[in-house]
Amino acid sequence: MTMWLLRSSLCGAIAALCAVFGQASAQPVPDAPQAISSAAERIYVGARPRLMQIRTLVAAAGRQSSLGSGFLVSDDGLALTNYHVVSQYALEPGNYRLEYTMADGGKGDLTLLAIDIANDLAVVRLDRRGDAHFDFDARALSGGLAKGERLYSMGNPLNLGFTIIEGTYNGRVENSYVERVLFSGAINPGMSGGPTVTADGMVAGVNVSKRTDGELVSFLVPAHFAASLLERAQGASPPSPGSLRAEIARQLIEWQAGLYKTVAETGFRTSSFGPYQASESAAPWFTCWAQTNAGQVPKPRAASNTTVCNSDTRLFISGDLYTGTIQVQHTHYRSVNLNAFQFATFITQNNRPYWFGGWRPKWYTRQRCNEDFVALTPSDSHPPLRVAWCARAYREFEGLYDVWVVAVTQDRSDEALVSRLSMQSVTHENAMALATRFLETLQWKK
Amino acid sequence: MEEVIWIEVLSRHREVLARHRCRGPVVTIGRGYSNDVVVDDPHVAPAHLLIARDESGALVAEDLGTTNGLFVERRRERLQRVRLDGDKLIHIGGTTLRIREGGQPVAPERPFHRNTRSWIAAGIMGTAIIAIDVLWIWLGETNEPKVTGYISPLFGFIMMTLVWIAGWSILTRIFAGEARFERNVVVALAGLLIYSLYNEVADFAAFSFASRTIASFQGMLLWVLLAAVSFAHLRIIGRTRLKLKAAAVTALALAVIGVQALGESEARQTFGQSDALNRLLPPALRMAPVRDWNSFATDIEVTRRRLDEDRKTEPSGPGGFFGAFFGVSDD
Repeated sequence: MTMWLLRSSLCGAIAALCAVFGQASAQPVPDAPQAISSAAERIYVGARPRLMQIRTLVAAAGRQSSLGSGFLVSDDGLALTNYHVVSQYALEPGNYRLEYTMADGGKGDLTLLAIDIANDLAVVRLDRRGDAHFDFDARALSGGLAKGERLYSMGNPLNLGFTIIEGTYNGRVENSYVERVLFSGAINPGMSGGPTVTADGMVAGVNVSKRTDGELVSFLVPAHFAASLLERAQGASPPSPGSLRAEIARQLIEWQAGLYKTVAETGFRTSSFGPYQASESAAPWFTCWAQTNAGQVPKPRAASNTTVCNSDTRLFISGDLYTGTIQVQHTHYRSVNLNAFQFATFITQNNRPYWFGGWRPKWYTRQRCNEDFVALTPSDSHPPLRVAWCARAYREFEGLYDVWVVAVTQDRSDEALVSRLSMQSVTHENAMALATRFLETLQWKK
Repeated sequence: MEEVIWIEVLSRHREVLARHRCRGPVVTIGRGYSNDVVVDDPHVAPAHLLIARDESGALVAEDLGTTNGLFVERRRERLQRVRLDGDKLIHIGGTTLRIREGGQPVAPERPFHRNTRSWIAAGIMGTAIIAIDVLWIWLGETNEPKVTGYISPLFGFIMMTLVWIAGWSILTRIFAGEARFERNVVVALAGLLIYSLYNEVADFAAFSFASRTIASFQGMLLWVLLAAVSFAHLRIIGRTRLKLKAAAVTALALAVIGVQALGESEARQTFGQSDALNRLLPPALRMAPVRDWNSFATDIEVTRRRLDEDRKTEPSGPGGFFGAFFGVSDD
C-alpha cells in the first residue's frame, strides 16, 4: 500500500495511478435497486454507465502499466481524464496503448484527442458512442459553488472497483499558481481522471491529486478547464500519435511564458541579509523557508542564514519528469573566527555540489556552465560577484532548458551573500530576463 | 721477481665472489683438484682453462678441449684462445672469471664524501614541505582544529615519500652498486616541494583568473612533474643513455595523461560538467577584471548554442573509467 506514496511527494502530490498487484477486476454491482437509501446511492446509479477505468497497456505485452479513471462527456463517445493518466501513451505512443473498461465490463480502445498539461487534463474518444454522459454543473463553471457544499467523487481506487466518495467543496486552493479546487474527501490512486459531481450528478471538477502529508486533502481540476478542453477537442481532428510530444513542448513553452510573465508582473520584494539586499518574488505562490546554523553544536565558526523560496508550480510531464519549479535561495555567511581563506572554503563546502540531480540522459542533455567575475552597474550599489551560470537542455522540448545561476558577493573576506536562482523548463530569453533582474536587485545596503 | 696472477670469480652482478692469488707463469683452472684454481661448477670441465703468456708476453686464456667451451663477455662465438687485458670477462660453464696481473692499475683513493650539503638541503625542503602542507590544511579548516586532522595526512604523505625514496634507492643500489640515498632524498623532496606549491598555486590561479583551463591542466602538469622527478632519479642511477631514459619517462607520462584526459572527456561527454564554483578563495586574490553582465551574457549565449547542438546528438551510456562514479539515477 505504500506504492502510491512513492509516486507522490510532500507537496501537491499527484495521486498516482499504478496501484494494482494481481487483484481481480471490479465486481459487478448487483442490479435492481430497492429503495434509495442515500444521495450517494442515487448518484452512483445514474453515474455508473458513464464511468470508466482507463488503463495504459504496454503494447508488446498487452499488460497494464498504469491505471486511472475517466468519464463520458458527450454522446459521440468523448471522455475526460487526467493528462497524467495517459502520459505514457502521449510520450511514447509506440510503446503503449490505451484501453477503457466500463462498469458493466465493456472494453475497448481509446484514441487520445487533446491534452492540457498545465491543468492535467486529456480528452479521449471511445470506440463506441451513444452512451449516457455527464454534463458540467453551471455553477461550478462560473465558480459559484458554496463552501461546504457536498460533492461526490467517483473512480476506481486501487483497482478495487468503482467507488463513490462523499466530500465537501472548499473553494479554490489559496496561494496557488495553478487553479485547483480543494476537495475534502478521500481520493485514492486509480481515481485520477474520475469526476467529482454535485448532488445533482453534474460535474464540478476532475479528480487529480492529493496531499500525502495531510488527511483528506484532495484536489480537483475546476470544471471550466475541462469544459474548454472538451470544446477544443470537439472541433479539432485527432492529432497523430507522433505529434503529441511536439504538442507537449508547445504547451510547456506557452505555460512558462505565462508563468514568467506573471512573476515579472507580480514584482519582487527586497530582503536584507547583513549589509546586502536581495529580492524574492512577491507572488503568493512562492513558499519560503528559513534556515540557520546558529543552534549548531559545537558552535559554527561562520554563521549562515538561508532563505529558500519555492514556487508551487511543479508540473507533471511524465512519471519520471516533473518540472516547472522556480527556486530562489539566499544565504548570508558571516565569519565568526575564520580567516579569509577558511571563510572562502566554508562557503565552497556549503554550496556543493551544484548539480541538478542525477544523470538523466532520457530527458536532458549534459550540463554546461559559465563562470566569471561579474559586476552590475552602477558599481557603487552593486558588489562585485562571482557568477556561475549552468544549464542543460531538454532533449525532447526544443527551446527549453533548466538553468541555475549562482552569485557569490566578492567585496568582503569575512562576509558574503550567496544567491541562487533555479529555473526549470524555461526558455533562454525568460531565464536571462529573470536572472538579470535577480542579479540587479542584489545590492549593497545604503 | 715473482709473477702474480689473480683469478677472480665474479657474481652475475659482477661483484667479486672469490679472489685467488696464483703464481705464474702458468695457471690452470677447472673442477679437478689438480688445478691451481678449483671451480665448483658442474658445467666446467675437470681441466678447463689454461692461463699463460703468449710470444708477446700478454696473458692469454686457452680452452683445454672442453664440451662447454670458452666465451668472452658480450661475444657470442666460442673461442679457443682469448687474449686478456685485465678487464675482459670470460665465461666457462656458468662461471664468470676475470684474470688480472699484479701490476693491474686501480682507481685512486676516493675521499669520504660527507654529503652535508645534501642533508641540509633535504632538511630545509622537508621542513618547507611540512610547513606548506600544514598551512594549506589550516587555511582549509572550517571546523574546530583537531591535531589528527593535521597529523594523519602528513603521516600518509611522509610514508609515501619514504616508500618512494626507498624504492629508488634500492633500484640505484641494484644498478649502480650503491644506494646514493641522499641524492634520491633530495630529488624526491624537491619534487614534493614543487608539487605542494604548484597544486595550491594552480587552484589560486584558477580562481583568480576565473579560468577553467588552468583547472583542467592541473592534473596533467602533475604527471609531467612526476615524470621529471623519475627522470632525475634515473639520472642518479647512471648518466648513461639519458636520452633513452628521458624518452621512456616522457612516453609513460604522455600515456597516463592521455588515458586520464580521455576518461575525463568521456565523463564530461556523458554527464556534463559539475565543477562550477569548485573552489572559492578570498576576494582579494581576484586578478581577472570584473566583467559587465552583458559581456558575460554573450558567453552564456555561446553555451546555449552548444546545448542546442547537444540536443541533436544521441546520449551516450555510462561506462568508461568514470562511469562507476556516477549512479544511473532516474529521479
